[in-house]
Amino acid sequence: MPQAVFVVHLDDYQGFIVEKRYPFSFSLNEKLLNLIFYEHEKEEKESLRYSEIDNSRIVSFVDRSHPRWMACFVLSAQEDYEELKAEISGMGRLILELMIEDPKTVHLEEILKNHSVLEEANEEQRYAQVFLTPSSALVLEKIESEGIEKAAKLAIWLRTQVQSDSVDLREAIFPLMNSGLVKVEVVGNVTETVFLVKDVFAYRAPPVDAITRAGESMPKLAGQYQERVAEFFTPPPPSRGYNPTIPSNDPNSPLVEDREKIARVVSRKIEYKVLDSLRDEPLTVKQISEKTLLPGEIVQNALLSLESDRVAAQLGAGVWALIANPVMESFMPEFVLAMIAEKLSAKEITREIAKRHLEILAETWSGEQ
Amino acid sequence: MIRSLYILGQQSNVIYSKEYAKSDSRDSLIEFLVNLAHFLSSVNLEGKIEYMSFSTARVFYASRQSFIFIFTADKADDTAQIEERMAQLVEAFMKDFAALAEANLPLEGLDAKVDEIAVTMVKVAILGYAGVGKTTTLHLLRGETLPLVHDPTIGVSIKKLPDEVQNANIVLWDLAGQSRFSILWAKMIANAQVVIIVTDSTLENVLRSKKLVSLVTEEVPEAKMIGIANKQDLPTALTPERVGQILGIPTYELVAIDISYRDRLIQIIRKAILEGKAETKPIPA
Repeated sequence: MPQAVFVVHLDDYQGFIVEKRYPFSFSLNEKLLNLIFYEHEKEEKESLRYSEIDNSRIVSFVDRSHPRWMACFVLSAQEDYEELKAEISGMGRLILELMIEDPKTVHLEEILKNHSVLEEANEEQRYAQVFLTPSSALVLEKIESEGIEKAAKLAIWLRTQVQSDSVDLREAIFPLMNSGLVKVEVVGNVTETVFLVKDVFAYRAPPVDAITRAGESMPKLAGQYQERVAEFFTPPPPSRGYNPTIPSNDPNSPLVEDREKIARVVSRKIEYKVLDSLRDEPLTVKQISEKTLLPGEIVQNALLSLESDRVAAQLGAGVWALIANPVMESFMPEFVLAMIAEKLSAKEITREIAKRHLEILAETWSGEQ
Repeated sequence: MIRSLYILGQQSNVIYSKEYAKSDSRDSLIEFLVNLAHFLSSVNLEGKIEYMSFSTARVFYASRQSFIFIFTADKADDTAQIEERMAQLVEAFMKDFAALAEANLPLEGLDAKVDEIAVTMVKVAILGYAGVGKTTTLHLLRGETLPLVHDPTIGVSIKKLPDEVQNANIVLWDLAGQSRFSILWAKMIANAQVVIIVTDSTLENVLRSKKLVSLVTEEVPEAKMIGIANKQDLPTALTPERVGQILGIPTYELVAIDISYRDRLIQIIRKAILEGKAETKPIPA
């Protein structure tokens, strides 16, 4: 276990502020904080850095979604950095997320002792980022309708759509590449091409697993729970309920709006952890806190936020359950096969590009079915 | 420090707002403030000033008649001091501006009054290449004895000026000049009201320093920039006028190792702060 941990915030006016430290007697100086910060500035992404400064072995964590914050861990001489890397990243991620959420709830000693961590963004959360970056969602829509497109052509199209020359296709396409939805390759040493590899479907699924478990473990509440879920998905007429399978071309469709809401819920790291814990079964705040190792207050706040997004609800006696399970699922875009054939026959793409697209689809999806 | 303030009218409409510092969590804070304003319009605070925490900020609020006043400040700030400033603003507003606001008339003079009350901290960044005398200038400003050995700054060194300007603390950010630290400059000058570009008055250094002027113009366009033609005691020194011509900013002579320049330099900074304030426009409501 690291000997000490401290959280630093670079304030625009007051400079480096050590917001939390454990143990309290651990001393720091400006030079050390500067050097740690400088090490991170050399790299743009979320990162873990190991530095030896003034005979101290320091591992620091930075999350680019919270610039100017650092969670730093001081290792003892015996500790192996390589072995601790994953755990320290997780603890760092958790500490920074909690600091932003509510600094009062951050108890460094407990986090260290319990080895509490926040996991790296999973596939579902990476998909969510696409819908939270407006230009990415726009590019996804375009590539869904084209299947395959030259990057240069896509860049011009994007500039026209957003009516700005400053929009950068690379930035718009990054969440799509990061989540594996598209692949960008230079084919034939000439043309940079964007291939649609996966498509994604965001919807609220009925929380079947949780309902089943509730029937076994809390029969008294199970009936009420089923009613709440049914009320959401199939309310009595004239209410229409929630049905994501009804296609809608209306850009103002509530389902499109809801997709963004789902993306927001899934992308919020702490809320997602709480949501994920409820996918198996309804739980009390205390149980969620034990399962996730998150402070009770934070769990409570996350649940209230999930409640306002109509994702979770309180069933009574302090038990919380999902009334709708937000899901972001990828599927094979079979419709691109016809597009590839059409574009090839219209000579919009070369045989080489068409072949490469099929290869990428096969590489991605073979073994998945 | 007070980071932003908002005055809302009867329909929770923003009558006046000003942000002194950009915040990473601005969007979520605004969302919170909208909800808070809505809530405050339905409760009676009985003339009291209250506060609550939001993430790393502290939000102070008060209401008088149909007006709501909101300050956002740092958690580290002395709450009594912020409450006192808020009370001053509420009193000044109700005395001189409430009637104008109710009649939908322009609130002339409110901006200056707000600055007078709310500015508690001013950031002055000292920027320049290695060895031009930035840290020596910092020591001079603080009236400190100069160290005998040159010890290059690592990253940034942050110190307060002992003197206040119009009840505001001046925080000096002395940025490391070595080229490896240049990746930090843009981030470190954020929210500076004044940026001092220090040169050693040699032609080569002054020409190079033009890049710094461009950086500041791009990163903090609202900051007041002043040039310093340091090392004027050396025979190779260009005149301050020539340095100013090359940099394209008002430039002043300095011999940072000479204590007699201290008061003059402080006056220059004071003037820049006051000019900067006069030029700052409140964000549109």
